[in-house]
Amino acid sequence: MHIPDGILPVSVALSGYAAAGGLTWLSLNRIKKKFKNPRELIPRASLLTAAFFVAALIHIPVPPTSVHLILSGLMGVILGWFAFPAILVGLFFQAVMFQHGGLTTMGINACLMGIPALLAGALFRTRRYFGVNNKVTNGLLAFLGSFLALVSGALAAALLLIYTITAQLDVAAERAAIITLAGAHLPVALLEGVFTALVVLFLLRVKPELLEMEEK
Amino acid sequence: MIAPYSTAIPESNLLSRWEVRHKLIGLMALIFSFSFIRELRLLPLVILVSVVIYSLSQLSFAYYWSRIRLPGLFLLMLALILPFSAGNTVLASFGPLALKLEGTLSVLLIAVKFLCIFAIVLVLFAGTPLQKIVGALRSLGLPALLAEMLIFTNRYIYQLITDLRQTQVATGLRGFKGRSVKALKPLAYIVGTLLVRSHNQSERVFQAMTLRGYGEESLVLKAEQVQIFDRLALAAALLLATGFVFLQLNFFPAS
Repeated sequence: MHIPDGILPVSVALSGYAAAGGLTWLSLNRIKKKFKNPRELIPRASLLTAAFFVAALIHIPVPPTSVHLILSGLMGVILGWFAFPAILVGLFFQAVMFQHGGLTTMGINACLMGIPALLAGALFRTRRYFGVNNKVTNGLLAFLGSFLALVSGALAAALLLIYTITAQLDVAAERAAIITLAGAHLPVALLEGVFTALVVLFLLRVKPELLEMEEK
Repeated sequence: MIAPYSTAIPESNLLSRWEVRHKLIGLMALIFSFSFIRELRLLPLVILVSVVIYSLSQLSFAYYWSRIRLPGLFLLMLALILPFSAGNTVLASFGPLALKLEGTLSVLLIAVKFLCIFAIVLVLFAGTPLQKIVGALRSLGLPALLAEMLIFTNRYIYQLITDLRQTQVATGLRGFKGRSVKALKPLAYIVGTLLVRSHNQSERVFQAMTLRGYGEESLVLKAEQVQIFDRLALAAALLLATGFVFLQLNFFPAS
């Protein structure tokens, strides 16, 4: 889901920056409206951003290989409106430290991960209609949000790559590429969904305040 | 192992001395102009400019190689798929697979742009401390909240990596092998613990920072003095970037 530099046309990369700029503005605006002193939350949001960055380094064994998780859904669940700035910060460090992703594509990558994260967060917050302590709905909403965040992000990335890399791709190859990319991400999305649900249920038991950052 | 953010280019180097705001604008303009290229005949020029800038930075090829291995996998994947799936002009056939001209040329264009942009990105970050980059971004309009998040996140990443490694050693010593999908639950608990510990620590950090005066005014980062060299270097980078866009638009508009 990290599209590197040089792959996308510059018009797409710039549109990505414009969209990411708009979403960052919206997120910061909502944060300022929601919290009396948003700067109070910066150390917490930063520490959690660092924690997500580190957690994404954990590899889940899927014999004969292993996959690393993206955790954008979990970020949406825990950080709420802070998820988008946190993803931008995470992408910046990934580009700087591992050269993973790119600078010209940072806006697009932020949208591919950030929009599903915000939606996963919004979906999780519907738990207030079912009872915030209900284990089944907490687990289910966390699973669904995270699963859909990864599938939609991967699908959007696949479509973007296929329709912008070259105009020479024939219809059959396009269809095959979309099915292959989506199919390859499906097991990871399932794993990520289960993983997020497990983390949310753990937090519900140990530190429920962490799930209420946006609900206060 | 993750190397901490560090500057690999010596401080005395010309590119390290380039004022950060000017360097950011100049090199980013160049990166975007590389991205704009669609004509293969312009690629030798792109390579030349990248090689000259990379050589000026005094970074070694070994450094470039060590950094490109991971992102290069994406390029490798494209190089394996695109020449066989895009285009109509068949160059060679290998059983059911046909190597096509258009796909091969697309890969060539993408690969050269990717490798050249990569070199410039390395020069940009390997020659500038993070504090200065954030300061420059802030003076270019980055919101204060994002700038502070960048600084704090950088501060905590390495500490959390150490915490995670310690947890992994501790669980390993207790017999946890984590070699199957069954490891999902314990790994989720490890991540949950990491989040809880980070949250608890953030409360203490905030209290300690408030005692030291945090919150009274926004993070202020010292602005560097701009020399004539900084302006000239920026003008040269912008001229090159504009030149690439001009050549692409006026001489190869159809590509």
